[in-house]
Amino acid sequence: MKKRMLIPLGIVALSSIGGTFAISSGSAMADTDPTRAAVIMPTSIKATNPPAVAPSGVKNAGNANSTIRHYKNGQLLAYGNSAIIYRAPASNLVSLGAKLYALNCASCHGVKADGVAADGSSAYPELVGLGPATIDFWISSGRMPAADPVQLQAVRKPAKLDAHQSEAIASWINSLEPTTPYLPQVNVKGADLANGNELFALNCAACHTITGGGDALAHGTIAPSLHPVPANQVVEAIRTGPGNMPVFTGNLTDAQVRDITTYVTTTLQNPATTGGANLGGLGPVGEGLIALALGVGILALIAFWIGDRT
Amino acid sequence: MTDTATTRGTSKREKREQAGPYGAVGKVVGELDERLGIAKGRALLDKIFPDHWSFMLGEIALYSFVILLATGVFLTLYYVPSQEEVIYHGVYGPLRGMHVTQAYASTVDLSFSVRGGLLMRQMHHWACNIFIGAMVIHMARVFFTGAFRKPRELNWSIGVTLMTLAILNGFVGYSLPDDLVSGTGLRIGFSILLSVPLVGTYLSFFVFGGNFPGTAVIPRFFIIHVLLLPLVILGMIGAHMGLLAKQQHTQFPGKGRTEKNVVGTPMFPTFIAKATGFFFMTTGVTALLGALVAINPIWIYGPYDASKISYAVQPDWYMGWLDGAARIMPAWEFSSFGHTWPLNIFVPAVLFPGLIFGLCYAWPALERRRHGDNELHNLLDNPRDVPHRTAAGAAVLALLFTVFVASSTDVLANFFHLKLDTVLWAMRFLVIIIPVVVYPLTFKVCQELAELSDAGKRKRAMIVSRTAEGEYVAVEADVHPEDGEHEADALPVPTFIEGLSDDAAKTAAPSNGVRQVDR
Amino acid sequence: MSHDEAHASITTVSIDDVRMQPKAKNPVRTERWIAFWLFIGILGVAGFGAAYWVDANPWVIGTSLGIGLSAIGYGLTAWGKYLMPQGPFVEERHQLGSSQEERDAMAAALVERGGSVFKRRKLLGGLLGGGLGIFGVVAIFPLLRSLGPLPGKTLEETNWKRGSKLVYQDGRQVHVGDVAIGGIATVFPKGFERTTEGQAVDQTVIIRIAEGDFVTQPGRETWGPKGYVAYSKLCTHLGCPVGLYEQQLQLLVCPCHQSMFDVKNGGLPQFGPAPRPLPQLALYVDSDGYLRAQGGYHEPVGPGYWERS
Repeated sequence: MKKRMLIPLGIVALSSIGGTFAISSGSAMADTDPTRAAVIMPTSIKATNPPAVAPSGVKNAGNANSTIRHYKNGQLLAYGNSAIIYRAPASNLVSLGAKLYALNCASCHGVKADGVAADGSSAYPELVGLGPATIDFWISSGRMPAADPVQLQAVRKPAKLDAHQSEAIASWINSLEPTTPYLPQVNVKGADLANGNELFALNCAACHTITGGGDALAHGTIAPSLHPVPANQVVEAIRTGPGNMPVFTGNLTDAQVRDITTYVTTTLQNPATTGGANLGGLGPVGEGLIALALGVGILALIAFWIGDRT
Repeated sequence: MTDTATTRGTSKREKREQAGPYGAVGKVVGELDERLGIAKGRALLDKIFPDHWSFMLGEIALYSFVILLATGVFLTLYYVPSQEEVIYHGVYGPLRGMHVTQAYASTVDLSFSVRGGLLMRQMHHWACNIFIGAMVIHMARVFFTGAFRKPRELNWSIGVTLMTLAILNGFVGYSLPDDLVSGTGLRIGFSILLSVPLVGTYLSFFVFGGNFPGTAVIPRFFIIHVLLLPLVILGMIGAHMGLLAKQQHTQFPGKGRTEKNVVGTPMFPTFIAKATGFFFMTTGVTALLGALVAINPIWIYGPYDASKISYAVQPDWYMGWLDGAARIMPAWEFSSFGHTWPLNIFVPAVLFPGLIFGLCYAWPALERRRHGDNELHNLLDNPRDVPHRTAAGAAVLALLFTVFVASSTDVLANFFHLKLDTVLWAMRFLVIIIPVVVYPLTFKVCQELAELSDAGKRKRAMIVSRTAEGEYVAVEADVHPEDGEHEADALPVPTFIEGLSDDAAKTAAPSNGVRQVDR
Repeated sequence: MSHDEAHASITTVSIDDVRMQPKAKNPVRTERWIAFWLFIGILGVAGFGAAYWVDANPWVIGTSLGIGLSAIGYGLTAWGKYLMPQGPFVEERHQLGSSQEERDAMAAALVERGGSVFKRRKLLGGLLGGGLGIFGVVAIFPLLRSLGPLPGKTLEETNWKRGSKLVYQDGRQVHVGDVAIGGIATVFPKGFERTTEGQAVDQTVIIRIAEGDFVTQPGRETWGPKGYVAYSKLCTHLGCPVGLYEQQLQLLVCPCHQSMFDVKNGGLPQFGPAPRPLPQLALYVDSDGYLRAQGGYHEPVGPGYWERS
């Protein structure tokens, strides 16, 4: 055997070994093909949203500690407490909402907002029964209308519809089947930032990172950055659990959600810059790169200047 | 001779004559030499240092260590090494009211309430990163030029040990503030100790004083970080420098350079000037980094709590290669006869670094055996002339770099919009393919470079000029000092310099400010 | 340092010798350039003093220090490189080794004087060696053993017992209606939610999934009431808290090294370096509607170790 066959044969052999241990490692892989399905909604989507509060007082999202409840004609108009008030979308916007829905959403989500069943390549979820907070979150963060309905995860982009239009659509959908959670209004006075920091670290940092920068998660999903998110969207995301994000209902009280939201919109989005340029919140990776490239690099160049080159 | 009774009347001229031709300095030298014999120390002043720029990389590490000591002393005056819980009441608003350890609270206070505290903390952390980075390139230079060969194998081993101790001390040091990011590293460290077969549980319980986290680890790590390891490191640096002084520095082959001499500039004044200047510049660069680029902002991370975690957490870069190895290792854990072998932890976190450092320690002996070479070597190799060594070193560095990149799989997946799973699989393959490809590639490049006799050397330029009549004239350019062949012959360091009197200095300065020199 | 160095090479050279010349082509102009930078250095370090005195921003204090030191350093280095004698100068290397005669003398000193002592007093040598050897071993005992307790059964136990009430970290008890489908919470046994031990060892996540999605593991039919499933939050790889839950993929991902655990299928690892499924805690709903544990974990939580069978 010629000596120069050694190297290519070596590469082939080692790649085979690598391939073998790659295939044989760990337990069976779950089905991970992302192109097969777009947004995969659990079949029991309706059950994630507890029914609207009837005067008999069945427990509800955000209602576990609600001290305020406003009713009109038997309909729940608002609930909450001193930390967050959730109010129903204005009922006089229903007709505007119907028009906007027909123009912007019906082509995917169906004329009656009851969705299109998953058929292997597309799944446009039913919107009835999701609650105004859900509708407002997806529209005001620009995720809906989706640019590419088949992509795995809709990402934040400049909102096509403004807050008023978003509330109108939510109002129309809510008129089909009134459901909470309603549109939140946060009262930041009295927020405990330290508590917000703690709760954020316990519940949110595992996906969004402690600096709120977001990162890539499993199977092509991502946890988005929290830096451009306004307060009401933070509450809506927490209370409705959009996409792969878990939903936090009775496990976080309104005061706790208010603390987290205030922490996010103040400290997290405006970190103290006393120490100098913050390297994108990347942590030790960025710091190491700068230390090596700038620190050691510049000093090595200085050494190159000082010494001889022969 | 002046009478002692009339010393008050001694004139300046008489006093000067008494002191001898070297004045006060001569008097001091005389007094000290009578007691300590320092005149023999002239050999130290005359010591010759070869001037190549790559010999200064180790100095970066040395100066960074001095900066670490100086800033570290400042930090120890304010840091409280205790895991006792307190409620934070300091200046940083978003943390007020939180239950934190005293270690964390004192570090936050040091950053915001102590004047210059944040600068010192950041300089300390940057200096540590630069320290280890400089050690890596210094070690690479020593390796690729063969400076570890006989008689310097012991110094090489001391150097490798210094690297390991510095990495360990860095890990222990950045865990002291007890913040969320470094605390996660401590938990991982505990689990790695657990994974050692036979003695793992005992090892981890002894180091941590019980189950994780306990209350002993921060005070223990504090003493390890400020006393035990720095003492050992200082001692080893002393041995490293001492051996260097005894065995003298190696040098590249060139005009007038043999195995039996050292050619360069003398310690005093030239080398001291350049080295001290370099020290100041290193400190300056570190201070600029410490002032302008934030590092380890623990007030954003929050205090450590074993039930909390952040995504995208990595250790500092010099531990990153271990983190990368842990990520790409397949989930191999075997059970037999009632015992568990956590190979998925033990292999990447203990065995892999052990093999790498073991290879480093063994390399001089391995090379000696392979070449049957028992000669003393004071002249360095040009890396292209030793292609096997260069290719092996390049392959190992490529492996370590790949494993290091594997520690930021999530950041890469996010940045390049790839699936996390894809990046991880790619890393698993790359960690094998890259070293296997780098070795023959480097070998070939070395061989080809070695065949080019004047690769990388300055060539004499030809200056082509055109006269007014249209004639072209080609003239060789002036000799440049870097053209080694035109260097003067080396002289021993002169003790006396002729012509260096005050009058000579005055007349030597011509009116146009330019000294005419013959080269 | 060897003796011959002090007596070697007392030489003289002329100031005009080429080796004593500054490297700079125009030394006076170079001197002015260096002087300029040393002056900047003075301004810088004085500025540092002033900035510190008036408690300026840390970046002002640091930048002035950095610029000052860098400028002084540059000036000093340039002075050394461009204005001081560059040589080249040479010195002979010290002879490291000694002659064979001297080496034999050294070896003889050790062997003949030392050997003669021990050869004649073998009993004493043996006893001394034994004593020193034993001392060397036992001297390590206090260094190791006093450091910490023996592991014993500590790693196998948590504070979860039969009837332990599940509480959030703020102390509220977990009611069966609290968590919606697709939700997650970190829970502890009541009384341990604020202790470091509880946080380190007892930390557990409860996740609510639709009861139809659940793949019941044999023997665990009663463990997950009303779609609640509880797993130890300690990753079985290296012990990081597995807090990252993706509700549509129904995966618990460990943020440290990206091990992925299948929540609906007994916490089985799908990907990454974790070798074992997350231990599951059996739950039940008590008469008031609060969640409680049926007992402790059935296996040690967290990473693997030698004694774990």
